[in-house]
Amino acid sequence: MKLNYILWVAFGAALVSLSACKEEPIVEPAEPVTGDFLIEFEYQWAMNGEPFALNTELHHPMTGDYLTFSTFRHYVGHVELQDAAGEWWTDTEAYALFDAAEPDELTLRVTGVPVGDYTDMRLVLGVDSTHNVSGAQAGALDPAQGMFWNWNTGYIMVKAEGTSPQSATGSFAYHLGGFAGDAKVQSHREFALSDHGMLTVAKDAVPVCHFVANPAKLFHTYGSVANGENIHMPGVNAGIMGQDFHQAVYLDHIHP
Amino acid sequence: MGWWRNWKGATAVIAVATFTLLAGCRPELEPLAPEVFAMERPDHFPDFAPFGDTEVTEAGFALGRRLFYDTKLSADSSVSCASCHAQVHAFADHNVRFSTGVGGALGTRNSPGLLNLAWHPTFMMDGGITHLEVQPLAPLNLAHEMAMDLQVLANRLGLDSDYPALFAEAFGEGETPVTGQRILLALTQFQVMLVSASSKYDAVYTGNEGFAADEARGYALFQTHCAACHTEPLLTDFSFVNTGLDMHSEDVGRYSITLNPADSGAFVVPSLRNVALTRPFMHDGRFWSLEQVVAFYATDVQDNGRLDDRLPGPLPLTAEDQADLVAFLKTLTDHEFTSDKRWMDPR
Repeated sequence: MKLNYILWVAFGAALVSLSACKEEPIVEPAEPVTGDFLIEFEYQWAMNGEPFALNTELHHPMTGDYLTFSTFRHYVGHVELQDAAGEWWTDTEAYALFDAAEPDELTLRVTGVPVGDYTDMRLVLGVDSTHNVSGAQAGALDPAQGMFWNWNTGYIMVKAEGTSPQSATGSFAYHLGGFAGDAKVQSHREFALSDHGMLTVAKDAVPVCHFVANPAKLFHTYGSVANGENIHMPGVNAGIMGQDFHQAVYLDHIHP
Repeated sequence: MGWWRNWKGATAVIAVATFTLLAGCRPELEPLAPEVFAMERPDHFPDFAPFGDTEVTEAGFALGRRLFYDTKLSADSSVSCASCHAQVHAFADHNVRFSTGVGGALGTRNSPGLLNLAWHPTFMMDGGITHLEVQPLAPLNLAHEMAMDLQVLANRLGLDSDYPALFAEAFGEGETPVTGQRILLALTQFQVMLVSASSKYDAVYTGNEGFAADEARGYALFQTHCAACHTEPLLTDFSFVNTGLDMHSEDVGRYSITLNPADSGAFVVPSLRNVALTRPFMHDGRFWSLEQVVAFYATDVQDNGRLDDRLPGPLPLTAEDQADLVAFLKTLTDHEFTSDKRWMDPR
């Protein structure tokens, strides 16, 4: 009967409010002023500043391998910004799939950011665990991107494929995923924007945070492709490769 | 109970009137959200699994139903989901051991029935998939099933004469109406509605009917020997169990996900609902009849060192016990489910 009682009360309330609501002036809430900024990636090979490129033979100075990448893709997202007062702004849905085959599109556009100065940024390099287990996602995280396993729920957060004479089969394919436990591939990183003169988000400008990543770091601990030319599941090796790559990413500069 | 019906009717009128009055206050009318299609939990069922409580709309359900029956989902447009998941068999395949995919390729595990998926914590016999929305990636992608890339499928359906409008109706226009995500969401809306809860067993369980003598004896035996894993009323606890089918299992099952040697040869406990319609049985379809399955548990369980604690060895079942168990298992057939027009091919 409780529901019926509530309905009777609501019925009465609706009658009473009927006349009042006609005269209610519509007050538009003031739109918060927001702007956009870009997260941009550049790839350098090894520590000698050599540019990284697909379909080009690259020599790995540590392992001695010769590697020709045909695919290099990885996720970056879950953007958080801290302002000078210590307040964090968060966009958990901001994600981009960075694909070395699309050199003109190596950006994540973060939108709707309140204008102001920011001193720190947190990013997830890879995909945060929640997005791994929350069903079919949209946009960059859409399983149609070919970065979601069909047999073991979760994202391939870093995909590196190519050929190498040092590989037992002549090719290599590292599909790095796994979001839980010690072997997780994603890395929660914090970058001090204040070291680069602050990120200023404004209404009429689109500043750029320029990051540098080094695909050679994949092999930093794992070593030569001769140690195993394929990784296709979560586990210790995927975790080591993914973390070595993600931990070496650094913020190089900020364009105002 | 007549006064109660009238009371309910009056309440409904008041509810509508209240809603109308309140809605009248809005500055302008918004388009109505697609009608929420009924996703109901049967009273005698437990709560949904964490992701089971999917919001279902009529347009989303209708789209998912159409996709489920459409052969365009396979690379050569030869098979649909329904090719291997037929309503007359509680959405298992047509009594074949392994299903045929594109180009006549054969699968490696027996096609399971699809029902009560909203209660599943995991999917696939090895439990590798943990969310219903992403389960269709497996049959879509696998070369011996539909051999279809999700983006290629989105492109294909995007060029279709009907689908873009149907996707827009279900999910809005968006940047492009047909996306991988939306294909998966629509298939989920159809599949989550496949609830089977109207068998003779359910009628007995809810106190509305009685078992025949042999069924009642079979039910008692079931509760003693089987219900620890085939937990009532869903008739599975969704755990992964090695039942001693083999000393050494060719198919490693759950091990492929956990990499724990103890899980080698373990597979998910299937629900026994509609089991009489889903032959053959076991992950590899090795047993043709329910009699064979029950006889296996009575005599052939092999001590392979990884047997589940709940099945320490062969079950003490006489020939008559086995016949009674089979009689009980046949009460799990839900003819309302297999003849429900909502699940049928929409064409």
